[in-house]
Amino acid sequence: MPGSDATSRVVLGGLRRLVHQLWDIEVSGLEHVPKDGAALICPNHLSFCDSIFVPAVLPRRLWAIGKAEYMDSWKTKHLFPAMGMIPVDRSGGRKSMVALDAAADVLDAGHLFLIYPEGTRSRSRNLHKGRTGAARLAMRCGVPIIPVGHTGTLDVQPPGQFTMTPRKKVTIHIGAPLYVADFGAITDPRTHRRMIDAVMFEIAALSGQSYVDTYAGKKDAAHDDTGTRPTAPDQAVTVTPTRPTGRANGMPQPADETATSTQAPIPTRPRVREAAQGD
Amino acid sequence: MSATDRHTDVNLASIIEAHSADATALIEGQQSITYGELRSTVARCRAALSARGIGVGCRVVLAAGNEIGFVVTALAALGLGAQVAPINPYSPAPEARRKIESLNADLVVLGEAATSLTDDDRYDVDVTSTGELIAGHDSQQAQSPIVPVESADVAFLLSTSGVSGVAKVAMLTHGGMAWVQRSLIGDGHQQLLPTDISLGVLPVAHILGLNIAVLSTLRVGGAVVLQRRFNPEESLDLIRHHGVTMVVGAPPMWHQWAIGDGPPDAMNTVRFARSGAAALRPAAVERLKQRYGIQVAQGYGLTETSAVVTTGRGIDAPVTSVGRPLPDVALVLVDDEGNPVDVGDVGEVVIRTPGLFAGYLDDDAATEIVLTDDGWLWTGDLGVVDDRGFLYLVDRMKNIVIVSGFNVYPAEVEDVIMQFPGVRAVVVDGKAHGLTGETVTAHVAGEIDIDELDAWVRTQLSTYKCPSEYQLVAEVPQTPTGKTLRHGSPR
Repeated sequence: MPGSDATSRVVLGGLRRLVHQLWDIEVSGLEHVPKDGAALICPNHLSFCDSIFVPAVLPRRLWAIGKAEYMDSWKTKHLFPAMGMIPVDRSGGRKSMVALDAAADVLDAGHLFLIYPEGTRSRSRNLHKGRTGAARLAMRCGVPIIPVGHTGTLDVQPPGQFTMTPRKKVTIHIGAPLYVADFGAITDPRTHRRMIDAVMFEIAALSGQSYVDTYAGKKDAAHDDTGTRPTAPDQAVTVTPTRPTGRANGMPQPADETATSTQAPIPTRPRVREAAQGD
Repeated sequence: MSATDRHTDVNLASIIEAHSADATALIEGQQSITYGELRSTVARCRAALSARGIGVGCRVVLAAGNEIGFVVTALAALGLGAQVAPINPYSPAPEARRKIESLNADLVVLGEAATSLTDDDRYDVDVTSTGELIAGHDSQQAQSPIVPVESADVAFLLSTSGVSGVAKVAMLTHGGMAWVQRSLIGDGHQQLLPTDISLGVLPVAHILGLNIAVLSTLRVGGAVVLQRRFNPEESLDLIRHHGVTMVVGAPPMWHQWAIGDGPPDAMNTVRFARSGAAALRPAAVERLKQRYGIQVAQGYGLTETSAVVTTGRGIDAPVTSVGRPLPDVALVLVDDEGNPVDVGDVGEVVIRTPGLFAGYLDDDAATEIVLTDDGWLWTGDLGVVDDRGFLYLVDRMKNIVIVSGFNVYPAEVEDVIMQFPGVRAVVVDGKAHGLTGETVTAHVAGEIDIDELDAWVRTQLSTYKCPSEYQLVAEVPQTPTGKTLRHGSPR
C-alpha cells in the first residue's frame, strides 16, 4: 500500500510533530480508537485542513481516498501517500464504486479508513445529512464506525484560503464506536440510514454543531470528495423500466425504450401541499 | 366521445360472463352457486333495479357484508351503468345515514348483515334489500343487458380509511379496477387459475376484499368462499374444508393465525398467501412458514390505486419489503422539493399506475393535494428502495417527528416497543419541545413497568429516538385492517 515504506513512516512521524508544534491541539476519546483491526473514522467536514488534523492526532495510520489530481503536484506527491491517501480518480459513478472497493480493500487488510459522511465540506457550518456509503461500507466489511467531532479547523483554513494559519486552537473529540449489528439487517436499506443518522447524531454531540437533514453542497453532489454515494452510472429512478406515457407535460422521452432511464420522469409537486396534511 | 369508446366487456359486470356455467362461483355457508346461476340471478337483479329507476350514472349504496347478495347486487348495478358505493353494514344507523346522505344515493340496498339498519322511513331515499332484488320480477323477465361503459367511468365509490381526519370517498373506475385484477391474475407459472379458490373474509367495503379477494377471483373464473367475519379457527376450517388456494388477509388476521394453534395441515392447499393494508412483522411471517408451510407475500397499495401497486409475490422479496412495482407502474421516491432521491435514501412514494382512481367524490381540493395533472399520485407514504429494486415502507410523512433536526419515524419506535414483553399495543407520536423542536412520546397499552421499558428502549435506539414521555393507556385504537388511529393533532 502506498505510504507503508520506511520513508513514509518517517515523514508521517515528522508531520505529526509539526502539527502539534504549530497548533494548539486538544484531543479526547483516543481510547475509542482500537489498537489494531479495521474501523471507519467518520468526522465532520468543514475545512480542507480537516484531512491534516484528524490523521495527525490518531495513534495509528489513517488511510483515505484522495483525488488522482493530487499526484500531479510534486508538493503533494510524497505527502499524501505518507498520510495514507490512495490515489483514485473519482470523477464519476462507476469510479466511486472503484473508490469504495479500494476502501473495502483497506478495511479488509485491517487498517483505519477515513470517510467524511457528509460527502463534502459543509458550507453552512452546520452538520449535514450523512451519506449512507459509510454505513454500507461498515456493513460490507463488518467494521465499527468511530464518530469524530472537531472544531477550530475553519479558523486554521477558512474557505478560499490556501494557507493554514498557525497558532490556532483545534479540538478533536473522538466518540465511542457504533457497531453494525445494532442497527438491523444488513440487506435492508433502512438499516443504512438508521446507522448513519446515529453516527451523525454522535458527531453533532461531539462537535457541538446543529444538524440539518439536507446533504452538504447539494449542487455539487455528483462530485463529492469521498465517493461514498452508492451510485452507479445508470442510476435507476423508477424501479422497473417504464416509458413515460407522453401525456405528461414536458416529460423527457428516453432514447432507449427498454433501458432504465437516467432521466427521471419527474412528477411535478402539486401546488397546494401545505394547506392540509390531513389524510 | 364516440360510441366505440364504450364497450360491454369493459364493464366490470362482464367478468362473470365467460366462465363455464357449472363452475362454482360463490360459496356462503351451506349455499353455493355456479357461474350459470350467478349470471341469471344477476340478470334478474338488473331487471329489478332497472324497474326501480336505476340506470347509467345512478348511485346505489350497498350496505352488505361478505355475502352472495352483495356480489349479485353490485354486479347488477354495475351492469346497468350505475355506481356502487359499498358501506359497512355494521355501522350504527346514524353513521350510515350520514354516509348515505353525503353520497347522494339514488337507492340504498341492505344486505343480510345490515341488521342494525332497517328499512326506515328516516332515509330520504328508496331503500330495499338484497333479498328483494334477488327475488326479482319474474313476471317481467325484462331483458336488461349489460350496458357498455368506458374505462374511465366510475364503478365503485369507496371510503378511504381516514385514519387521521375526514374520511374521503375515492372514485374507482371500471378500467382501473380491471387493470389491477388482470395484474393480479398475472401470467406464467404464478397466475391465478379457474381452479383457484379464494377466501373472501376481508370486508367487501375495503379495496382489498373487494378487488383482490372477490373480483379478481371472479374475473378468472375461480370460486370465492365468503365469510362474514374473521375468526381464526372458523376461517381456518373453511380453508381446509373447501381447499382454499388463495388467502388475502390483513396483518391482524395473519398475526392471530401465527400465534394460534391451528392444525399445521390446515393451509396445505394454499398457493397464494398475501398480506396488505399494513405492515406484517417478519416474526409472524416466519411463524406462519414454520407452522403452516406458507410464504406470506406482502404488497403495497392504496384505495386510490384500486389496491395493488407493488407486490412481493413470486419474486423472492426480502421479508420486510413490499416487493417491486407491478409492470406498467411507475414509482419514484422524491424529496421535499419533488426531486428523485438517491437509491437507498428515503423519499415520498409517488406513483403512476393504470389502476389510478378518478379523484375524491365532491372534493376537488382534496384531490388536487394528491393527484397532479400529469397523472402522478402523491401518496404521503415514505419509502426506500434497495439496490435490487425492492421497496421498503418507512412511515407516513405526516407522522415524522423531528428531534434536533433528525427525523424520527414513529413506526420504527413502535416496532421496537412492541418487542418488549407485556406490550399489547403502542402509538408513538411527537409533541412540541422548546429546545429540540419536538420530542417523541409514546402511549402504551399493556402490563408493564414504564421505567423498565424506558431503560430497555434506550439500549435499542439512538437517544433522540427514545420517547421522552410514556403514558400507559387502556387500549390503542386501531382499524380492523391493523392501522393505528392516531390522535387528530394536526402535524
